[in-house]
Amino acid sequence: MEKYEKLEKVGEGTYGKVYKAKDKATGQLVALKKTRLEMDEEGVPPTALREVSLLQMLSQSLYIVRLLCVEHVDSKEGKPVLYLVFEYLDTDLKKFIDSHRKGPNPGPMPPSLVQSFMYQLCKGVAHCHSHGVLHRDLKPQNLLLDKERGILKIADLGLGRAFTVPLKSYTHEIVTLWYRAPEVLLGSAHYSTGVDMWSVGCIFAEMARRQALFPGDSEFQQLLHIFRLLGTPSDKQWPGVSSLRDWHVYPQWEPQNLARAVPALEPEGVDLLAKMLKYDPAERISAKAALDHPYFDSLDKSQF
Amino acid sequence: MDFDLENPLTISHDFQPETITSLFAIESDHMPSETYLQSLKARNFDISIRREAIASISQLCCNSDDLLLYLAVNYLDRFLSCQGVLQPKPWLIKLLAISCISLASKMKKSEFSLLDVQGDGGIIFDTQTIQRMELMILGALKWRMRSITPFSFMSFVISLFKLEDPPLLHALKARATQIIFKSQKDVELLVFKPSIIAASAVLSASDELLPMQFPCFKKALSNCSYVNKENMLQCYSAMQDIVVDGFDSVLERVCSSFVTPANVLDHTFSSSAESGKTTVTSISTLRLERDLKRRKNSEYCKNHRLQISHEHFQSHKRC
Repeated sequence: MEKYEKLEKVGEGTYGKVYKAKDKATGQLVALKKTRLEMDEEGVPPTALREVSLLQMLSQSLYIVRLLCVEHVDSKEGKPVLYLVFEYLDTDLKKFIDSHRKGPNPGPMPPSLVQSFMYQLCKGVAHCHSHGVLHRDLKPQNLLLDKERGILKIADLGLGRAFTVPLKSYTHEIVTLWYRAPEVLLGSAHYSTGVDMWSVGCIFAEMARRQALFPGDSEFQQLLHIFRLLGTPSDKQWPGVSSLRDWHVYPQWEPQNLARAVPALEPEGVDLLAKMLKYDPAERISAKAALDHPYFDSLDKSQF
Repeated sequence: MDFDLENPLTISHDFQPETITSLFAIESDHMPSETYLQSLKARNFDISIRREAIASISQLCCNSDDLLLYLAVNYLDRFLSCQGVLQPKPWLIKLLAISCISLASKMKKSEFSLLDVQGDGGIIFDTQTIQRMELMILGALKWRMRSITPFSFMSFVISLFKLEDPPLLHALKARATQIIFKSQKDVELLVFKPSIIAASAVLSASDELLPMQFPCFKKALSNCSYVNKENMLQCYSAMQDIVVDGFDSVLERVCSSFVTPANVLDHTFSSSAESGKTTVTSISTLRLERDLKRRKNSEYCKNHRLQISHEHFQSHKRC
C-alpha cells in the first residue's frame, strides 16, 4: 500500500471506509476501499474470490466505476487485508443535484444533461443485468460523475455477501429507503431486475425535480409516499400484492397525475418514467428496452 | 455467484445475444501472453516445469471433474506467462499446483479441501503459505478468475451447425470436449484463442462423427464473422495429431453418453423415420453403428461399458 498516498476519507461505501488516494508513481487519483475480508483456514475466502472477480468483469463497462486492481497488505496481526482500488471521480449525482438546488447559481439541470445521464445509467444497469447481477442499492450517491466529460458511472455494486448484508450498512449509517421498490418494502421474497428499474425511475424524477420523489423516513412512510402519488395498488393492477408478507390495509388513494410531479420533464420523459414506476415488477420496463424509448430519440447516441 | 465455465460472463441462465460479443471481445485477457510459447520453447526446462506442474495438478485433482483441472491449468499457464521463470524446485511446483487447484475449486464451488489433498504424505504447506501463493496468482491474473475458455464458446459454435438431433449434438459436444481437454497439454496450441480452440475442436469432432457434413460445417465456421478463418484452419491442423491419438477411446465415450448405445440407435432410426428427417441423422447413425461394431469387438469395452457410461466425464483419468 506504500504505492498510494492517502489524501482524505471520502465516504462510507457498502464495503467500508473509502479513501481518496494518489498513486505515487503515476500521480493518478484513486478511491481505496478497504474490505473486511478475513482469511480463513482455506486461504482466500471463496465468496470474496467470486465476488471480486465478478466485479472485475463488470467493471469493463464504461458506465461502471472501474476496478483498477486489488491490493493486499498484512495487518498488524499478520492477516492480509484486501483493498479494492477504483478509479476516482470527483463528484456524485447527489452533490450535483444539490448544487443545482442550493448552490450559488441554483436552477434546473439542463434537459439534455438529464437525458444523457439517464441514458448512461440505463446502459450501466443493462450491463449489470445482462450479467445476471442486480445492484439493489442504486441512488444518486452511488452514481459518480466526471463533470468535465459528462460521464456517469455506477459505483458500489453491492454484490453482497462477502462484504455486507445490503440492507444494513457496515457503519450503521441510515440506509436510505427513498429508492427502494415497493415489492422490497412489502417483503416480497423474490425480486429481480425490476428493483433496480424502480430506483432508476426515482433517480430520473429527482434529476427533473431537484428533490427526491418519495422521501420516506420509515418503511411504512415510504410506502405511503408512493401510494399517495401512484394510488394504492390493487390485486387487479398488481396480481398478488395483498398476499405479500408485509402488506397491511392502507388508505385508498387515487393515482395522481405523474406529469404534475415532474413539471420540468417533457411528455416522452413522463411516459418513460411511468413505465419505470409500474407497480407490477413484471410490467416495469427493462433497462435494455428503456434505451430504445422515444425519450432518447433526440439524443446523439454515437457518443456512447 | 457460481462460476460456470460454459457460461462465464453471467450468473443468470438467460442467454443474452450481446454476451457472445463480449466473450469474443475479452477472451484474449484470459489466455497466456503471445510470447509465452516462445519463452517456454527458448528454455526447454520451462516446458518441463510446466509439464511437472500439470502432472501435479492432475494427480491432486484425480477425484474431481475435468473442468476443475482445466481451470486450474488455465490459471497455471496465465501465471507462468506473466511471472516468468520459476525456480525448478519440486516444492515450489507443488505449491503452485495446489494453489491453482484451490482457486479453481473455490470459483467452481467444488468439494475440495486443502487438507484432503495434502494427506498424501508429500510436502505439507500451511494455510498461510498457500494463501500467499493464492494472492500472488490473483495479483498476476489481475483477479480475472472467471476465465473465458473454449468451453465458453462451445454452444455458440455448435449452434452454427444448425443440428436438431439431441443425441447427435450431445455426441459432438462430448467429443469436442474431450479434444479440448487433450489439447490443453499441447504447448503448440497455447497460441490460439479460446474461441479458435473451440471451433477447431468441434470441427475435428464433426470430421469424425459426421464426415459427410464436414465441408458444410467448415464453411459455416469460416463464414462466422467472429472466427478468424486462417487461425482456425491452422489450429485445426495442429490439432490433428491429438485427435488421431485419442480417437478410439472417443467412441466408447460418445457411445457411452447414450444410456445404452443399441437402444439409442433404434431410437434415432425410428424418430428419423417418423419425422422424415434427412441425411444428417441417418449418416451419423450409420457411422455410429459402424463404430459400435468396432467397439463391440473390443473386450475392453465389453467389460467396461457400464462403468464408462457412469463416469461420463471421468473415463480418461490420468491417475
